[in-house]
Amino acid sequence: MRLLSPSNLASDFSRHLRPAAHIAMLRREVLDSFLRSRAQSQGAHLLPALLTSLSLPSSPLHPYLLHYIPSGAGAGAGPATSTLAVDVVVGADGANSRVARCIGAGDYSTAIAFQERVRLPPAGMAAYADLAEMYVGDDVSPDFYAWVFPKCDHVAVGTGTAAAKPAIRRLQAAARARAAPKLAGGVVVRVEAHPIPEHPRPRRVAGRAALVGDAAGYVARCSGEGIYFAAKSGRMCGDAIVRIWKEKGRVAEADLKREYLRRWDEEFAGTFRFLDALQRVFYGSNAAREALVELCGDEYVQRMTFDSYLHKKMAAGRPLDDLGLLWKSAGSLLRATILGREVERLRSL
Amino acid sequence: MASFSSPLPIPAPISTLSPPPRRTHLAIFPRRSSFAFLARSADNGAGGVGSVVAVEERAETTKGEEASSLDAKAKEKGAERKEEAPGSNGSAVKSQVEAFTDPRWVGGTWDLKQFQKDGKTHWDSVIDAEVRRRKWLEDNPEASSNDEPILFDTSVIPWWSWVKRFHLPEAELLNGRAAMIGFFMAYFVDSLTGVGLVDQMGNFFCKTLLFIAVAGVLLVRKNEDVEKLKKLLEETTFYDKQWQATWQDDKIQSDSNK
Repeated sequence: MRLLSPSNLASDFSRHLRPAAHIAMLRREVLDSFLRSRAQSQGAHLLPALLTSLSLPSSPLHPYLLHYIPSGAGAGAGPATSTLAVDVVVGADGANSRVARCIGAGDYSTAIAFQERVRLPPAGMAAYADLAEMYVGDDVSPDFYAWVFPKCDHVAVGTGTAAAKPAIRRLQAAARARAAPKLAGGVVVRVEAHPIPEHPRPRRVAGRAALVGDAAGYVARCSGEGIYFAAKSGRMCGDAIVRIWKEKGRVAEADLKREYLRRWDEEFAGTFRFLDALQRVFYGSNAAREALVELCGDEYVQRMTFDSYLHKKMAAGRPLDDLGLLWKSAGSLLRATILGREVERLRSL
Repeated sequence: MASFSSPLPIPAPISTLSPPPRRTHLAIFPRRSSFAFLARSADNGAGGVGSVVAVEERAETTKGEEASSLDAKAKEKGAERKEEAPGSNGSAVKSQVEAFTDPRWVGGTWDLKQFQKDGKTHWDSVIDAEVRRRKWLEDNPEASSNDEPILFDTSVIPWWSWVKRFHLPEAELLNGRAAMIGFFMAYFVDSLTGVGLVDQMGNFFCKTLLFIAVAGVLLVRKNEDVEKLKKLLEETTFYDKQWQATWQDDKIQSDSNK
């Protein structure tokens, strides 16, 4: 993984990688179908349909009513909308969650992630065989980063932003320009865009309905990682429901909150808050981004970053090295800030 | 999209060290982008952070244009490096942008030997040159290249040259302000209450005032800083409030039950 600053100073993360460690690149179309078929083989009933609405129960004894349109329902094949009565609902339908809207979970502010899949000639793909790039800079995103991620036989070039959504096309063009020599001869085969939640919803559990993943807003700041947290929260929620059923035989809102939400917050809220602080400090301006890339050249930083990333929790470092890192961070930020101020002063002359 | 957790501890005094936050308000109300987030069936979903939605129609029609414009851009940027004939027809509209060149910028770093003055490196001009390079690159972003990596690290500039050029003048300014405030406040308090300087220092209220004065001089250096500090405080607590929001209902309920 290479991180490139606005002045193209590069920090190569693979220098201090442990032998088996890696950063996974994912193709969602492959992962999603794998997870679904695995669930089915474990006994889940798959019902391909489009959820249209969710009727809330009038009492704790009444069920939730899911109104859905089964996939493949033709024009004359009987009633279009069917209903399913359930005890507990787990909303895992992503950033535009219908479940969240129906249970009144509240809204969150979102960023947009925009991505183009580019098929490169073999020479170009060879360069990206084990290299992923992240570009930071005001030209590619005012509050996030642009990326070139290899995906088996093509690369995904994209960028994201929360503060400058109308300008996403310009940011994407700038992202392509930053990697231009390496993308030469590439053909865009697909364009994708999706909202990314910036913070959790005001209510993640309402009644006997819980939200997980993007629907709940579990996207880490700074890195934008949401896939792991979606899977993990789904598992924790499922485990919680099973535990409650075994103990009490019926799920109530307080139980869900205690068994699922409280455990989730205890385990991950700290990590999320830390990443939010990092994003605010280091993605705030070009000067801060230069400091970030300078810092990422340090061996201790790279090791701590990987350990935290691989285990999804703040890795415990050695206190003396932490102090050294604090000192280096202060130094880098200070130098970069001073240079940034001088740039502004030059500009205003 | 893959991810990485960034490095560990960050310096604490954000207001003095970090650059002013660009985004002054986090959006409380989501702004729906002009892009249509068309809901498509799940088997179209593909790589991205959450499930991703394909905006495919545009891709089909613009595929051809995108390909040629990608080529064109690559050729434009590469023209300085490689000797290709710019054969693109589509985007001749873009003017040729020069890469950053400077006789002292050699092989991806500043050649410190060219900054010599009286036999010693003149660090001030190194700083000036780097500032000019960063400003240029901000205005004309360059494509990254595997062959010509940037190697310059600002830590080669010794700490004392930073201190001499940037810290000392500002320290002089702030100390001057503190001294003026201190002298006149001591005079006023003495004239109003008759308590001399030494006795003032022993008083708790005066010590508090002194603390406020020092903090004020350090934190509020320009008029805009007051607003910036308020916004910073609000922003810092915003994210945490979102995480706590789901527990507020419980708090309200338990408060009303008591």
